[in-house]
Amino acid sequence: MTRDELMTAAGAYALGALAEPEKSEFEALMAESEQLRAEVTELMDTAVELGLSVAPVDPPSAMRDSILASIATTPQLASESRSSSERSERVETPRPATPAEFKARSRWRTPLARLGAVAAAIALVAGLGVTLRFGIQVQNEMATVSQINEIQAADDYQRVVVDLEDGASVTAVWSSELHRAALMVDGWRDLPPGSTYELWYMDAEGAATPAGTFDVDGEGSRNVVLAGAMSAGDAIGVTVEPAGGSKTPSDEVVVVMTTA
Amino acid sequence: MLQVVTRNLDEDVDGTTPTITSEDLLGRVAQGDQQAFAELYDRTASRVFGLVKRLLRDHAQSEEVTQEIFLEIWQTATRYDSGRGGAMAWMLTMTHRRAVDRVRASQSSRDRDTRIGIRDFAPEFDSVAENVEIQIESERVKEAMKRLTELQRQAVSLAYFGGYSHSEVSQMLKVPIGTVKTRLRDGMIRLRDELGVGS
Repeated sequence: MTRDELMTAAGAYALGALAEPEKSEFEALMAESEQLRAEVTELMDTAVELGLSVAPVDPPSAMRDSILASIATTPQLASESRSSSERSERVETPRPATPAEFKARSRWRTPLARLGAVAAAIALVAGLGVTLRFGIQVQNEMATVSQINEIQAADDYQRVVVDLEDGASVTAVWSSELHRAALMVDGWRDLPPGSTYELWYMDAEGAATPAGTFDVDGEGSRNVVLAGAMSAGDAIGVTVEPAGGSKTPSDEVVVVMTTA
Repeated sequence: MLQVVTRNLDEDVDGTTPTITSEDLLGRVAQGDQQAFAELYDRTASRVFGLVKRLLRDHAQSEEVTQEIFLEIWQTATRYDSGRGGAMAWMLTMTHRRAVDRVRASQSSRDRDTRIGIRDFAPEFDSVAENVEIQIESERVKEAMKRLTELQRQAVSLAYFGGYSHSEVSQMLKVPIGTVKTRLRDGMIRLRDELGVGS
């Protein structure tokens, strides 16, 4: 579709009537046009009026119990990453949480809750439409989350959660069938300029194959899908490397996780 | 500036305005407050369920999707920014999107793969159009809808209340896709102006 044709799709978009690939094309266009975003926002608010015009229907009371029970064991997403200016001030490890913060957080920082990062990642996919309406989301985050979803949907899907120092953690998910793995890191230190985290597949002989680089956001978080194909039994490693990544891993190993 | 509905969306179904706004509640939910979530649920569940049911019609599926929506509200409350819109608007936007996703998903196994034509859509469209007329409760919205052309009204209704994609709407109304798109946009702009949204 041409750009002009896409521009007229604001109504269809606000009504949820665009299907892929047009929807993504439209969202890409919206990311670069303030004017289009403003129009879409107003039309989405208009759509909300349509939603409010529908007669309310009381759901069965059992649903309330069921929902309240399920949220009690479901962790919440970390809040949106901070602005880049704030981020640059935090080169070292995150400051320790205040007692109140710690209390609020610790509820969701149990090992069990960490497994829920996976569930949260799924919710993130579902939440994109809304996130977009409340602030444009980067395209590749979408792609990452949908690939993580694919991994999680695989029959041989597996995951492991590792706690690191200073409250940092990493969750690895993989499927040997899909030859694909992904990491969800949290609470990692933001690296100084000139260096980056690099991912590796390591085989039984210890040979390491580079699998991409990544940086973390202001919260020290990142979801990342490893590049290249995973062979069954490969370990997944992360090292710190010079910006751009290296061909062989440095000594600065952050974590190595076995998948066998 | 992105500005949003100024009307008070916080009224309960019975018309009373609670002292704690839904935005406050959602803010507390973002802090992990389960009590606040329960209160928010009590305040909004009938609206969410009503809209889901309007789109899906099937009771069991509607319950399932409503549960998913509230779980998503719980999980993503941390991403809600009250500066960018009301809590109810945020929740209903999510509600509509998820209900439409479900409509599309359950259709994909049925009609979509069989490339069903207007012939088979037609009976369904009649009932949709009928329901749309009946089920618009709000006088304001009903009045605003009357200001739309017939084609705009049908296209907007099929898309929003029926969960149909613009290509389906085009088949059902026997007009080209490009025309549907402009009618949806013109119709929504007219509704926006009639309802005084975002001005």
